[in-house]
Amino acid sequence: MTNAPLHSVANHPLPGPASTRPRREAALAEFSAIGWPTPQRERWRYTDLHGLVGGDFDLAPSAPQRAELELAAPLLATTPAANRECRLVFVDGHRIPELSATTIENLEIADLETGWRGFEASYADRIATKDHPLAALNTAFTQQGLWLRVPARTAVAAPLHLVFISSPRAALAPQPRIVIETGEGASLTVVQYYIDSHPGSGWINSVTQVQQAAHSKLDLYRIQRHSPEQAHTSLLAAEVGADAELTVGYMDLGGRLVRNDVDVKLAERGARTELFGLFLAGAGQHIDDHVLVDHAAPETRSDENFRGIIGRRGRGIFNGKVIVRPNAQRIDARQSSDNLLLAEHAEIDTKPEFEIYADDVKCSHGSTVGELDADQLFYLRTRGMGEAEARELLTAAFAATVLERVRDLETHEYLVGLVAAELTRIAEQPK
Amino acid sequence: MLTIENLHARVGEREILKGLNLHLPQGEVHAIMGPNGSGKSTLAQVLAGREDYVVTAGRVSFGGQDLLALAPEERARAGIFLAFQYPIEIPGVNNAYLLKAALNAQRQARGETAVDAFEFMKLIKKKMELVNAPKDFLNRSVNQGFSGGEKKRNEILQMLLLEPRLAVLDETDSGLDVDALKVVAHGVNSLRSPDRSMLLVTHYERLLELIVPDRVHVLAGGRIIRSGGPELARELDARGYDWIATEATA
Repeated sequence: MTNAPLHSVANHPLPGPASTRPRREAALAEFSAIGWPTPQRERWRYTDLHGLVGGDFDLAPSAPQRAELELAAPLLATTPAANRECRLVFVDGHRIPELSATTIENLEIADLETGWRGFEASYADRIATKDHPLAALNTAFTQQGLWLRVPARTAVAAPLHLVFISSPRAALAPQPRIVIETGEGASLTVVQYYIDSHPGSGWINSVTQVQQAAHSKLDLYRIQRHSPEQAHTSLLAAEVGADAELTVGYMDLGGRLVRNDVDVKLAERGARTELFGLFLAGAGQHIDDHVLVDHAAPETRSDENFRGIIGRRGRGIFNGKVIVRPNAQRIDARQSSDNLLLAEHAEIDTKPEFEIYADDVKCSHGSTVGELDADQLFYLRTRGMGEAEARELLTAAFAATVLERVRDLETHEYLVGLVAAELTRIAEQPK
Repeated sequence: MLTIENLHARVGEREILKGLNLHLPQGEVHAIMGPNGSGKSTLAQVLAGREDYVVTAGRVSFGGQDLLALAPEERARAGIFLAFQYPIEIPGVNNAYLLKAALNAQRQARGETAVDAFEFMKLIKKKMELVNAPKDFLNRSVNQGFSGGEKKRNEILQMLLLEPRLAVLDETDSGLDVDALKVVAHGVNSLRSPDRSMLLVTHYERLLELIVPDRVHVLAGGRIIRSGGPELARELDARGYDWIATEATA
């Protein structure tokens, strides 16, 4: 494939076998008609992709060579995904069999191209591309992708680690697409990692689609720790069935320009979701979380807790929208967004939006923006702790209350260490 | 140990301490009593180094050092401990972590080696028994969800662990029932020693029946207006504060 400026994306050659072309072409035409999201659209008011669109990117990178794969292995060793038997590894959008598990008990692993017909019918058409134009781009350029299915009444015992690594090759923009289906009563934990094997300036545009049957349970964690020049856009579109439970934890620790869209539809009675996130935005980092919860059925529950830590010249955005449909009585929707500004010239925009069309509902939201608590700082110092140490401890504590929601212990521990290291990095940035 | 001369301090625009003098010799326990708003808590916070309490005049010397020149953590490392009237809740910071970090910060400042997790547990277990601390005390976030009594016991636990040279207890008796008061008093008394001084800031005489002070000072209008022995506390309990204030202005 060849690199070309993204603004002339319509001329990019499409990847994949001929059987996938018609849908890809349609998606590309759709994208061209809608156009790149710009700050003129309300949903993209704070996030400008302009710098990205001017760049030359390869939207369908070729398969990585041995040199790139050799860089990937040592990276994996430092994560909870060190064990090959419980992970699937992608480099520049390509699944790498020699770094990945071959089989995992109670999990069907397939790619999208093989099951393209089914993908077209059940998933490609489901996303409202008017709201999510980048998903159309993803449909056009995604390569093999990944299709995971947990059969009814089975559980995948250990967390499945999905690792997306960007190699040192210049100007790549892989478009990974992941579909996760949990059958009735099934359960699964997935941890997605986005990491770079070197400080690059690429872009990754991922789409994850989740379909949960009744009484199933999915814990989905996403850990983004890109190098400082990477751009990252992501969409999670999930549909949760009757009495099913979806837990989503988003950790954004790196990247230059990051935009995450999370759309959860509580589609049937009794569906529940817990959504939480933490982002750290240091100098020059822009991190934008847009979360939508759609209460489309009665007795559904949502609980959202997002926290941002913003350093000098960092920028954070949280937009949390909740829709309660007319028939969705006796629902419970909670949302909170708490943000900590570590320095002057740190910026956060946080906005809750509630659209409620039912009358018997419980909804609550709260958002805070502040600095470290002076009383807490003083208390720690009266115990002999230095000011810098006390600040670090309180900042880590602010993050800890989100991290505690990660139920997988190994992932939790890994995150605590990672966040501590990143906070030190932000604290040491020149004032 | 502690000498305060002509101390003036304000919070915002309001002057609260207006020429306070106090001498607390090594090994003695003194009580500061006084009506609400007399400046008792301000004195405690000023000694600990709270930055929004501005000292406008006067001197405080602690073991020969100029206390007011030190940052709060330097005061702590020099051996000053303030038991807060309203202990601060810190969600996300583990109580054991705080206790160990505080102990090691102070040990290192004194040129001693840091204690490891094993030594720390051995040390803290004994102290916990002394204040009747429940087993989960260490694993909870600092003061978060603690009852009023638990918070005060946590302050005393910290004090027992840190073994300060000067302990300032700010209304440690407030909000405690009789049993909890006894536990706290027992903890404080166990720490009395010839080389340790204590300043008990209190409103009520009942604490002073359990921790008998060497001297009692009455603070009103930002100054010490009378000093006496333990019997002064009983007199205040019987007669209130008005009579002293009247005598003082007369």
